[in-house]
Amino acid sequence: MALLEVDRLSVALPAGAERSHAVDGVSFDVAAGEIVCLVGESGSGKTVIAQSVMGLLPPELRPSGGSMLLDGENLLAAGETRLRELRCTRMSMIFQEPMTALNPVMRCGEQIDEVLATHTPMDAAERRARVAAIIRDVHLPDAERMIASYPHQLSGGQRQRIMIAMALVLNPKLLIADEPTTALDVTTQAQILALIREMQRMHGTGVLFITHDFGVVAEIADRVAVLRRGELVEFAPVDELLAHPQHEYTRMLIAAVPGVAPPSRETRIGPTVLATEGLSKTYARGGWLKRRRDDVAAAVDVTLEIRRGETLGIVGESGSGKSTVARCIARLIEPSAGRIVLDGEDIARLDGDALRPRRRRVQIVFQDPYRSLNPRRTVGDAIVEGPMNYGATRADALKTATELLALVRLDARALDRYPHQFSGGQRQRICIARALAIGPDLLIADEAVSALDVSVQAQVLALLDEIRLRLDLAMLFITHDLRVAARVCDRVAVMQQGRIVEQGPVGEVFGAPRHEYTKALFAAVPGRRWSFASDAARVA
Amino acid sequence: MDTLTDSATVAVVAPPLLAGAAGRRLLRNPAVIIGAAILAVILLLGLAAPWLGTVDPVAINPSVRNKLPGFEETVRNDDGGTTTVVHRMGTDTLGRDVYSRTLYGARVSMLVGVAVATISVALGLSIGLLAGYVRWLDGPVMRLMDGLMAIPAILLAIALVSLWTAGVAAVIVAIVIPEIPRVVRLVRAIVLSVREEPYVEAAISVGTPTLPLVIRHILPNTLPPLIVQATYIVASAILVEAILSFLGVGIPPETPTWGNIMAEGRALFRIFPHNILYPGIFLALTVLAVNMLGDGLRDTLDPRMKLRHG
Repeated sequence: MALLEVDRLSVALPAGAERSHAVDGVSFDVAAGEIVCLVGESGSGKTVIAQSVMGLLPPELRPSGGSMLLDGENLLAAGETRLRELRCTRMSMIFQEPMTALNPVMRCGEQIDEVLATHTPMDAAERRARVAAIIRDVHLPDAERMIASYPHQLSGGQRQRIMIAMALVLNPKLLIADEPTTALDVTTQAQILALIREMQRMHGTGVLFITHDFGVVAEIADRVAVLRRGELVEFAPVDELLAHPQHEYTRMLIAAVPGVAPPSRETRIGPTVLATEGLSKTYARGGWLKRRRDDVAAAVDVTLEIRRGETLGIVGESGSGKSTVARCIARLIEPSAGRIVLDGEDIARLDGDALRPRRRRVQIVFQDPYRSLNPRRTVGDAIVEGPMNYGATRADALKTATELLALVRLDARALDRYPHQFSGGQRQRICIARALAIGPDLLIADEAVSALDVSVQAQVLALLDEIRLRLDLAMLFITHDLRVAARVCDRVAVMQQGRIVEQGPVGEVFGAPRHEYTKALFAAVPGRRWSFASDAARVA
Repeated sequence: MDTLTDSATVAVVAPPLLAGAAGRRLLRNPAVIIGAAILAVILLLGLAAPWLGTVDPVAINPSVRNKLPGFEETVRNDDGGTTTVVHRMGTDTLGRDVYSRTLYGARVSMLVGVAVATISVALGLSIGLLAGYVRWLDGPVMRLMDGLMAIPAILLAIALVSLWTAGVAAVIVAIVIPEIPRVVRLVRAIVLSVREEPYVEAAISVGTPTLPLVIRHILPNTLPPLIVQATYIVASAILVEAILSFLGVGIPPETPTWGNIMAEGRALFRIFPHNILYPGIFLALTVLAVNMLGDGLRDTLDPRMKLRHG
């Protein structure tokens, strides 16, 4: 008998929502000792399923049909008291953001101890020993220090290990992991995935693993359930699903995942548009009336060159300084040292009126499509703002805006609408149109596709590539995702702790990385044995 | 990235200021409707006082001192006939009609409340935008504001009124000064968070000059919380004016204000409580109405409150 059997589960959405059910007749099962991945794009209902199993649905959602059996016990029929007994002892959950899932004012050790004190008759000494043991099990160094630490004193990966320790301390039969590695860097993600695998093997736990990332699926899953808009479209063993996806939607999703190997690309490389020489940015901590110290070097001695018609990628993990470099180049912040040469002129020190005419040469698209547009201004106002700053009449600017909307495949009617009427992908297209409206030579995309679902991401990447070719732009592409970098970049620079550690044509850097850090980064990319895009293309 | 985060995003992304949905939500909020209705009635009473059977609020009449509410006074006219004046709320120790004084007093209270709110919001908004947007001004300006906040409002008002001539203008200035730092803090905090928003950075990078940038992209974010804050300032200004008048350091005693009326009724409070009761009721009702309006506005305009209500 399966450990968890979900049978025709439906969860109704409140009246007035865009569809009637968050989850509609979904059936799947998790056996003891296997990892089942629930995969889908945002709004597919995967988190709602996890919350239903744990009995943690928000009050406005309610299960409206079906059954969920955990070890033969119907969870939908269980009362709040019974569910509380089951949590941690039979089923546990780990979350995407361990910083918010852990209590910030309790020491990590106390938080694990609390679980034991609530659910077991152990005395204090036994509990202390058990906490130390589980912390060693999840490979945290220096168990005593970890027990005495507050969550903010640990790194993201260490916090997620604490969460895993807490979830597994009572040996539950089922572990639900809701995007547990999404907020983590790729190298940390690899370690956490390995840890979940190891724990699952060691304890024979069944794992329900929720993710949007097919790389992670390929890395960790035994079986995969693909969800779309609350419905299960396919449920199959991982190798079968990745090699021979049956459903069209699954095929589309897999085809949208960029491969790790860079594809051949069409480029016409022209003269240098912008170059940096020894660019550095140091943040001084402290403030008024305080002595300045604790300087943080966000970027150190960054030298790069971007030529017309090519895409230069900057890849690195969080805190590597890649966004700092982008923001220096866009002159949203002033570099502490070094030169930014645009057409033979150093713009690193210019400000105010001297800088304004040069701003139109370099434009930037940001990561978060929900915050990149002023919610109180129409799309038309957003796009014409730039051209009108440089003297265009409103009528001319609107004409340009209409053409640009067509270029980014949006209807001209979008001009009179407000940003909240558009999806994330559409908003990102609007941001691209806004950036192009004043005719830049260099377009910076700062994690511009990271917040998008994989199918939307593929469309936006294709659009950016098309625009680069058509308008003969230089492009600076900042990303943490090596698959995305492989897909769109001609050259890449790898950054670590503010420095460029390796730079070169994408084929060379990806094919034969020289620096240790680059090698570690590639080794950590999940699902590398699947090349996705190319495999799917072959299958299709 | 599922239903929960989606609904959170929808709630945080506010539609254009007060347009459509927010406006309708406002009209469905009972606190807003009741508060606004009470305020409108009191304001109307103040403005229409001359036509509501009042007599000259400053006319002293020793023959009808300390009369209880409902006292009917017979006035002999020049032509030999008589008319009856009903003192609905009685008279004070100088024989002035409390009903007339209370109604006219509404004018002063409303004037002080609205003037203080308008001036302090306007000044606080300007200073707050400057402090929040111009980085090097932030430290000095905010320390100055901290200094202003450290002075007790009533003490400052007493000092200002005693240095200057007593009058409505002096009282307004005295109440405005300690209110400004609160507005500045609020505006600055919003500016500091909004200036980091990608849409502001996008506007900078398309070359928008500073002034249009601040007006188009930053200022509108400060308005909903400022409107709410303004209502609280109105309430507190009306109270502080009454306190100052009550303490005898505010508006000169011949001008009818609720504080003045109560101050004069203080001595004989146990025998003639009406002198304090009626202006007190008006004062309490007004402050309650303004606060209800403010709470209702906060519920509809503040995105964090919206989140909490789902």
